[in-house]
Amino acid sequence: MKQLETDVIVVAAGLSGLAACCAAAEGGARVVCFEKASTTGGAANMGMGPLGVGSRIQREHMIPLSPIEAFRKHMYFTHYHVDPRLVRDYYFKSGDTIDWLCNMGVEFVGVQRAFGADEATRPYSDGEFTWHVCKPEGGGVPGPRAASGMMKKMTEYAQSLGVEFYLETPVKKLIQEDGAVVGVVAVDKSGEEIECRAPSTIVATGGFGDNPEMIKEYTGFEFGKTIFNFAVPGMKGDGMKMCWEAGAAKTPIIMEIMYQLPDNMNHFIIEGAFRQPCLWVDRNGNRFMPEDQIGNTTFTGNAISHLPGKVAFSIFDSKALKRYKKHGPDIISHVHPHDLYDHFDEQWERDLAAGYEPIAQGDTIEELAKNAGIDVDGLVAQVEEYNAMCDAGYDELFEKNRAYMQKVEKGPFYCCRQTVGAYGSLGGVKINHKMEAVNEDARPIPGLYCVGTDACSIYGDSYPFVLSGNTMGFCLNSGRIAGENAAAKVGF
Amino acid sequence: MVTLTVNGQVIQAAEGQSVLHAALAAGVYIPHLCDHPDLEAKGGCRLCSVTVDGGDVPVPACTTTVAEGMVVDSRTEAAELTRRTSMELMLATHPADCTGCPKYGKCELQSLYQYMGVNGQDWRMKSRPVPNNDSNPLISHLFTRCIRCGRCIRACQDLRGVKVLDYIRDGVGVHAGVPGGKSLVEAGCRFCGACIEVCPTGSIVDAVGVMEKHPAYADNVVPCRAECPAHTNIPEYIRAVREGRPGDAVAIMREKLTFPLTLGYICNHLCETGCKRTDVNDPLSIRNLKRFAVENDKEQTWKGKGFMKPRTGKRVAVVGSGPCGLTAAYYLNKLGHDVTVLEKRPQLGGPMTSGIPAYRLPIEGVNAEIDYIIQSGVKYEVNHEVSDVAALKKDYDAVLVAVGVSKGKKLGFLPGANFDQVYTAIDVLADLRANKDISYLGKTVCVIGGGSVGFDAARSLVRKGLTVNLACIEPADKILADKEDQVEGAEEGVNILPGRSFEEIEGTQEKVTGLRVHTVKSSTYDRATGKVTEVAVEGSQTVIPCDSVIFATGQYTGLQDFENFGIELNRMGYPIDPETGKSGFKTSVEGIFAAGDAITGISFVIKAIASGREVTSVIDKYLGGDGDIEETLVERTADPHIGEFPGFGTLPRVEMDVIDPETRVKNGDENVYRTYTCEQAHCEAQRCLQCDLRLQLETVKLWNEYGGGE
Repeated sequence: MKQLETDVIVVAAGLSGLAACCAAAEGGARVVCFEKASTTGGAANMGMGPLGVGSRIQREHMIPLSPIEAFRKHMYFTHYHVDPRLVRDYYFKSGDTIDWLCNMGVEFVGVQRAFGADEATRPYSDGEFTWHVCKPEGGGVPGPRAASGMMKKMTEYAQSLGVEFYLETPVKKLIQEDGAVVGVVAVDKSGEEIECRAPSTIVATGGFGDNPEMIKEYTGFEFGKTIFNFAVPGMKGDGMKMCWEAGAAKTPIIMEIMYQLPDNMNHFIIEGAFRQPCLWVDRNGNRFMPEDQIGNTTFTGNAISHLPGKVAFSIFDSKALKRYKKHGPDIISHVHPHDLYDHFDEQWERDLAAGYEPIAQGDTIEELAKNAGIDVDGLVAQVEEYNAMCDAGYDELFEKNRAYMQKVEKGPFYCCRQTVGAYGSLGGVKINHKMEAVNEDARPIPGLYCVGTDACSIYGDSYPFVLSGNTMGFCLNSGRIAGENAAAKVGF
Repeated sequence: MVTLTVNGQVIQAAEGQSVLHAALAAGVYIPHLCDHPDLEAKGGCRLCSVTVDGGDVPVPACTTTVAEGMVVDSRTEAAELTRRTSMELMLATHPADCTGCPKYGKCELQSLYQYMGVNGQDWRMKSRPVPNNDSNPLISHLFTRCIRCGRCIRACQDLRGVKVLDYIRDGVGVHAGVPGGKSLVEAGCRFCGACIEVCPTGSIVDAVGVMEKHPAYADNVVPCRAECPAHTNIPEYIRAVREGRPGDAVAIMREKLTFPLTLGYICNHLCETGCKRTDVNDPLSIRNLKRFAVENDKEQTWKGKGFMKPRTGKRVAVVGSGPCGLTAAYYLNKLGHDVTVLEKRPQLGGPMTSGIPAYRLPIEGVNAEIDYIIQSGVKYEVNHEVSDVAALKKDYDAVLVAVGVSKGKKLGFLPGANFDQVYTAIDVLADLRANKDISYLGKTVCVIGGGSVGFDAARSLVRKGLTVNLACIEPADKILADKEDQVEGAEEGVNILPGRSFEEIEGTQEKVTGLRVHTVKSSTYDRATGKVTEVAVEGSQTVIPCDSVIFATGQYTGLQDFENFGIELNRMGYPIDPETGKSGFKTSVEGIFAAGDAITGISFVIKAIASGREVTSVIDKYLGGDGDIEETLVERTADPHIGEFPGFGTLPRVEMDVIDPETRVKNGDENVYRTYTCEQAHCEAQRCLQCDLRLQLETVKLWNEYGGGE
């Protein structure tokens, strides 16, 4: 067994781990970081950018939101079910962290909110401009993966500060002596064990999105049945288990809910095409929300999770399809291809022929309902009522934006079953505002910090899209704060 | 050597080298994707674009040869533009959402877009969906992710010469795949895994579960070698057999094994349970190939090769001469220590010469393997039983307890178990091996216990003309012995009585008359308490008439029977290491070690050999050595070009010819099987997937492995 000794150990090199590495090394500490994958950045490579409040960029854009306002908004959103001191310290750090990244050479295109809410719903669901979206190198439109460049900058910065990365070397357990965590045991690609000892260990393993058993046990969802979440390989909940074994208390755990199709990568065009404010119903054929809200993936995902069978059905007719093809979609997503409908027919025919289960077509509403598995009488009645309201130009039920009140009348009709998705798990390990893992009595486990999504229990039940960029924001700032504290502990 | 400048750094390169490889070798990172160290450069992806000598037309560094004084730059505007455009085009057709991809975090494409900071939103996105294909064994195809770099195709076509993968043009676009919609088996795939190894994205990956069994990557790639307790280089010796070099095959075995012939006959072949070919059709018959190789090794070129270290003057006693003891003795002697083996029986070899019956293992073969160890310089004393191991410390610097489990257990609770004509299988088998008179058993026997030792005894006695019943508590589908043993035993006339619970041995102290049993519907054994709970079939009580009863119900070390063996033992008679409270290589006395069945309980010869090798390292280190016993007895060659082989995936497993039951019984000691002919061995060996070739391929280094930030 190989033996190592250092000041700070960081378990995993995702966003929170890299932030911890950089902060601890900046503080003068010697840092060793163990990572399962052969690249750094973890799930953040797919992200677009973090939250920050009070950053240089926001000031330049004359965005007046202050950390304490963000704090209050967050606490209202969560009904004070979460640790106010932790939330406070996070928001107060977050603006400076954006400046910190800028000094590393990270570039942002500007500050955004999660999505522009429809006018009628703006007072309820519009977000603050907190989302610092990373700029693709050499310019261009940012999209998913935009944050990968930031991960490169952070990795290079960490390397320049002397952080030692052990790639493809997952940590298997924490070493605990007299109650204190004093190091870790990792295993490298050749199977050799490495024992590393340090006064501080920062666990940052990113939750359990890739562990169906834990998803079932802690959130009740069944992966591949009632939830189709991102399962970034390797996110098995290892770090959470290690912290719990070391005595850390458990917090409630949620999935970071949105909605998506099963095997969505291979049916991306279909997924995008049906994310429109057309007619949305449950299994019994009943509408369940104002469809102009479906751009809010958090709310829509939550709503679907409470429907019978945890499924919804998005339906449009041939006229609508023709309109989408001609004028483009009603709601433009920043995730799906821009030219969705150019490829719709091709993919639709292929998926239909291949028997892709979530989709169905019918020449009549009855036939559609039968093929899709919706209650036939229910859907017929609902379509009749909906079409009458469209004629009247007013949605008596939910007052949906009248621009979207388009009749469902001309066959063939198209339907796509929508299911609950999630970005991953959130929370699990109880921490304090110093990012120390704590026991049931809120006493720190000496030597142990836990950061990022393993410890992100500040949302209550739902992703606070009103303060967008929150998940990456919490990863960055919790990691950074833990890194600073761990370095301070060894006397730098 | 050629001197050139890359990105402002002066570097040295070999004549004829590509600019890309020269730069990478010198630690100067230039992004690259379609290039792979083991494949011919094609210059297709344009990510390695550079400008040369101040020119403004970018060229691929992978297809540009170094020249003296050349000035190369990958960072010029023109080079960057080409590179970025190329990456954006690749990403425009690659699924935007990587999170469900099994390659996430180990993906070259991901590492490259991270390095380049390109996210591909400026182009019209056009995903090219291709249905995932998980229907093939071992290999999953997810060609929606294909970026058309052609690495898998070059690996399959040129490097391997298998010619299964090619570019496919369908309605959606171009991607790699199997032409004609064939399955991999139909297309003649050899499942070497090179395509998986070189794929820079998640388009071709190992099927779910394949890479998850062992902690080490190489062990998952070559599971047969990992599963073998001694980690014998199985694909390498199978290759030697296939190429008609049985001597080299034996040399490769001999690097890890002291008893290859013995194993060729009786190994429990854990390697075969690991064999990846199992997913294609049936596993390789590895054990039978081993037997063939050893029996056809005329030259024995391995003899006298390998290390022989200078004498250390240290003395080691090895107690017990089974496969573990002799293996340790062999290597300890090679490490320079003076080794004496102490054996209680009149001959060396433990169960190999006194337990396993002759019809399974020919005695001459075993004796030749033992002789080789003795001739290498190991001293021995037979008829020397050690009753106080601590006393040996006076004369020896280290002692190894490798006594195995040589005492048979009887079910003491069974009324009549103490009658005169009640024996243990291990004693009967020893008498048979020593050609002793066994008329004491009478004409009809009952063997109790359905493990391999029970069957060894039963089948041996059938060959001696006895009427043999074998009864065990396990139901027919749960009998402990191999299927082979059960089928062949029944064919030879063993009357197998499964699902029987034992009530009493009938008769008197001097004369056994029968075994009273009843049938059970079910039974459970609680390992912790040793208690058996059963549900009996009412009215099923019968008496099996017999002249003697043989217990084959387990064995033990017997060390607790000595007044004081000198080291701490647990209640079952196994040495324990007080530091851990369990049995291990260390014992309660410094300098006294234990290994093999004496610390694990009854196991298999291969496990004992592996244990003997491991404990050798521990003892050598204790005596001041480095514990290294690795050696190479023959140079290796492995041609990566394995070529086309239509029908490869359906090649049936070749079984050895088996002698008919009547002849088998009549022939007595003769082996049940005929060793492969050369032709059979070749046919079987060529079924090997050669998983080890995949490890020859280099792993592409990602940008973050080129050291410090700027």
